[in-house]
Amino acid sequence: MRIFNSGAGSTRAGLRITGLVAIGLASVLVVAGCTDNSQSTSSTSAADKTLVIDKSFDLKTSDPARAFELTGSIVDKAIYETVLDFDGSDVTKVQPGIATFEENADNTVLTLTMTGTHTFSDGSPVTADDIVFSLQRVQGIAGNPSFLLDGVTVAKTSDTTVTLTSATSNPALPFILPNPSLGILNSKVLMANGGTTGADDQAEAFLNKTSAGSGPYQLESYDVTTKVAFALNPNYAGDKPAYGRVVLENVEGPTQKINVQAGSTQIALDLNADQVQGMDSSVKITKNASPYLIYSWYNQDPAVSGGVTDNADFVKAVRQGIDYSKLLSIAGEGSTQPGGMVPSMFLGAIESDPANVFDLDKAKASLAASGYSGQPVTFSYPNDITVNGLQMQTPAEAIQSQLKDVGITLTLAPSPISTFLDAFRAGTLQSGIMYWGPDYPDPADYLVFNPGESLGKRAGWAAGSDPTVTAAADAAAAASGDDARKTAYEAWQNAANASGPFIPVIQPGQYAVSTSEITQLDLNPVWTVDIADIK
Amino acid sequence: MAKPPGGASDSRLELEADAAATAVYDEVQDDRAGGSGGSAGPGGSGASGVSFSALRNRLRLPPTFRRPMAIIGMSIIVLWFLVAIFVPWIAPYDPLAQQFDRLQAPNAVNWFGTDSLGRDVLSRTLYGARISLPLALILVVASAIIGSVLGAVAGYFGRAVDEIIMRFSDLVFAFPTIILAMIVTAALGPSLTNAVIALLLVSWPSYARVMRSMVLGARSREYVVAGRLLGFSPFTSLRRDILPNVAAPVLVLATLDFGNAILLLSGLSFLGLGATPPTPEWGAMVADGVQQFSDWWLAAFPGLAIFTVVVAFNLVGDALRDSLDPRTAGAVQGVKI
Repeated sequence: MRIFNSGAGSTRAGLRITGLVAIGLASVLVVAGCTDNSQSTSSTSAADKTLVIDKSFDLKTSDPARAFELTGSIVDKAIYETVLDFDGSDVTKVQPGIATFEENADNTVLTLTMTGTHTFSDGSPVTADDIVFSLQRVQGIAGNPSFLLDGVTVAKTSDTTVTLTSATSNPALPFILPNPSLGILNSKVLMANGGTTGADDQAEAFLNKTSAGSGPYQLESYDVTTKVAFALNPNYAGDKPAYGRVVLENVEGPTQKINVQAGSTQIALDLNADQVQGMDSSVKITKNASPYLIYSWYNQDPAVSGGVTDNADFVKAVRQGIDYSKLLSIAGEGSTQPGGMVPSMFLGAIESDPANVFDLDKAKASLAASGYSGQPVTFSYPNDITVNGLQMQTPAEAIQSQLKDVGITLTLAPSPISTFLDAFRAGTLQSGIMYWGPDYPDPADYLVFNPGESLGKRAGWAAGSDPTVTAAADAAAAASGDDARKTAYEAWQNAANASGPFIPVIQPGQYAVSTSEITQLDLNPVWTVDIADIK
Repeated sequence: MAKPPGGASDSRLELEADAAATAVYDEVQDDRAGGSGGSAGPGGSGASGVSFSALRNRLRLPPTFRRPMAIIGMSIIVLWFLVAIFVPWIAPYDPLAQQFDRLQAPNAVNWFGTDSLGRDVLSRTLYGARISLPLALILVVASAIIGSVLGAVAGYFGRAVDEIIMRFSDLVFAFPTIILAMIVTAALGPSLTNAVIALLLVSWPSYARVMRSMVLGARSREYVVAGRLLGFSPFTSLRRDILPNVAAPVLVLATLDFGNAILLLSGLSFLGLGATPPTPEWGAMVADGVQQFSDWWLAAFPGLAIFTVVVAFNLVGDALRDSLDPRTAGAVQGVKI
């Protein structure tokens, strides 16, 4: 300033320039003043603040009994309470939610006792009937999350207690119950809108418009392709969340990076290692080991396999032909290769398995033994989603190139996630790459990757087709006590790696990038983020 | 006759010659016979001057392309077609080999940098010409043929045939091109073949419309009627009498459409409905680059390739249109009307 002033008055031109500079400075100050004002007003009324979160959507529905996608879990966690809960990112200890729990000695009967007051968004109290209705509805609809309560009988025993009786020992049940898909719904409102506890339930459309829950937020607007907006639930019984309005936007990774750097969004959830590297210091990077597992499958159903992917030697050749270390370098810092299907941070995870080691010569030998004669194998993957910021197309192209060196011809078949999921769930895809997010932090969650189980069937792995793996899986499911379970799960994964159709490929690193405004952000393996906990 | 003062007025000379009488007619005839040396025409310097300029005329580009923009456009197109033909010898590396460090900025080894799987972007961009150019050519030729035939039939026969064909083309016109193409590819499954089929379905009607209006004008001309009276079948009449007289505007449309075809094909690939990975298609490469904004070279170079080809075809198309449009043809020929 002073430099300009000292020069002023020397000439007319100088005067004019000084005048211009003065006007410029004045206008900048005025604008700055305005910005300051608006910021201070927004921070004074904390509850009215809007939180914008960017997420690459894989959303199909917000009906908890049907939703089973990562984005669906974020949405349902915000609008529904569960009977049990986890605190922050710690998933090793189950916390009380709507209820506390007790288990009998052989882990077959779990008793839930309701605690405190919990109220739905319409002001009515949460009752034991609502718990029974909601859990039975998940079972009755038989949607994607229904397997969570397979073999469990839900019964009301008093106005405040509900028992969950399992046919066999079910030590994982307390870890299952905090899953957002088991959120408690307002049974009266739901029944008035077509909700039942059977397959004839018609309430999905209603739940995609209105949330009938007791969680900290309720749905303000909902669009599976663009954004989901949340408003405070005025009747929420717990502590009021820091943000009065939350918008979850469907934004792809690269745009998320720009948004969070510009401050137009506070949290970006899908940045990958490459994108995080170039961030400036104004943002905070939360790094965690990711519980998401990217796996490759080879269909065992003779009607789908084309006579190729159901050949044990062919799958073996693929296992030995994938250059895992190269995939890790592509996925970036923080990623790991899981030894089996159980992610590295859970009980029973194995560090490595001799079956899943890159060895080009062995792979070629296995391929020769399989009798494969170069016919193209269709390799499907969803091309519009990212797993922790990693595009599925990237590992797919890398695997295609690596297997080409072995002599296997993969034809890549990308499709949008909704189309992909329908075909995948029908078990009609010959091979491909997909991810699995844990439903509850327990290795029992990974028993679905077994013959005749939900994920096993997607790979055409029929019940009874692999007695060795089935026996190992049964032993793992029945084991009790941490040490016994650990050993049993390790044995099961070794067996599955030896003859199964699933190849654990990569666990990408997990990054969340937030602006300096955010002081608390916990990444949880089950629901990614609890929106109400963000401060 | 004196030698023209400047090269640009050669054509004016010709026009003057045409306007003049018989002596000049002889010279022109002489030209057409192809002989300039030893011509039996009026001797002297005048005659040899005319012959020389006529030879020059024959060696030079037709007036249509003798304009800077058209020359630039033609050069770019020729260059890209040469690249498409000779790319195995031109491209420095295998476009599919994941052999370099990932996401390197342009450097001495990889002039256009490397992509997220360590492939050479220069090689991929060059190989992209082999995908985009032939497909765009097939697409334009096929839609021009289909559209022209349908349009000619509609215009020539009129009545119900006309109504059915043209209402069907209106139906296609009612939808935005890319949206309709997306629907078709989404239904058929993503692949380049399906993308071409989809674009074929949406791009024939513009040819049909142009062709129909031209045929409507031409079918009542005396020479057509005369041909019919001589016993020509409708299709012989269309082929022999009408087609040569109406082909020019369709040619212009096709040239202008070529750029558009490349853009639409790239657009479908960008949306994941065209080329399937790892095909080095420009649109798909731009889509990859969009995933990595900060690594600008991923999208910039294939984007530039699309840009140059599309602009080049538009320049040539514009030049063709200018020369065939009666309102601007004079300017192209060097005569102010």
